[in-house]
Amino acid sequence: MKKIRLGDIIIFLLSLVLIGASFGSYGKLSGKPEVRVQAEGREWVYDLSVNTTASFSGPVGTTSIEIHDGKVHVLASDCRNKVCIAAGWISSAGEWIICLPNNVFIRIEGSIEPQAGGVDDISF
Amino acid sequence: MTYPSSSPKVRIEFVALLAACALFLSTVEYLIPKPVPFMRIGLANLPLIIGLGLLTKREYILLALLKVLGQGLITGTIFSYIILFSIAGTFASTLLMYIVYRFFKQWVSLIGVSIAGAMASNVAQLTLSQYLLFGAAAKLIAPPFLVVGLISSIILGVFAQQFEQNSAWYRSLREGSL
Repeated sequence: MKKIRLGDIIIFLLSLVLIGASFGSYGKLSGKPEVRVQAEGREWVYDLSVNTTASFSGPVGTTSIEIHDGKVHVLASDCRNKVCIAAGWISSAGEWIICLPNNVFIRIEGSIEPQAGGVDDISF
Repeated sequence: MTYPSSSPKVRIEFVALLAACALFLSTVEYLIPKPVPFMRIGLANLPLIIGLGLLTKREYILLALLKVLGQGLITGTIFSYIILFSIAGTFASTLLMYIVYRFFKQWVSLIGVSIAGAMASNVAQLTLSQYLLFGAAAKLIAPPFLVVGLISSIILGVFAQQFEQNSAWYRSLREGSL
């Protein structure tokens, strides 16, 4: 093309920047696994490799979670059936625990990698 | 003024001709299978790109309106919410293309105009889909939409640029001899 001008190249580059920025929405899914907790209408993010405890209040009381040795579980909850506590420890990306009565949703995000000796993703 | 000074009747017929062209290209585009209905190649935008150098501001807005209505008619979405996407996309792109063409004409060819229009259209539609359809997940469909928009707009822009340079019809319109 004999008629390509400077402005065309600038617009093209700006578009590439825009597209590159839009790909950023995919980038979050990889990297270090992190614990995401939705409660009280907000979302908290915790590093799975840092031992800590946290409490969240909901409609029926308080739900406490504990992160320990790269695993997370519900330590205590004021809900009736304690299903969330019975769910036990979770440690890999894609796993989740929900306390429905107390509106607390705990999930682990990060790149899902097949574990040696783990259950196959498809035929569970 | 860069547009010809023909009689009002000739001018309105000329807008109608470009709108009819957009209608026809909408039909052609409708024949091409697409993964999701609102992922468009944007063939119908070709008359809008070519019309830039020929129409006044009011004629140009009229052409955009006719394109939205024609496209809605062809795809059968004129009374559904999808028409909102068409309106948002078309008017965002016409606005930006008009601004780019009007104020940066010396530095930008129709290829740049076309890319700018496609990006404006896609961003407007993705923003709208965030509020109407997908919520925060709208950003996950952004990359394929923007990539398709960029590629198709470059092809359309090259075509429009060639047309502007080589068409005797276009030249005679610019000179106001039709």
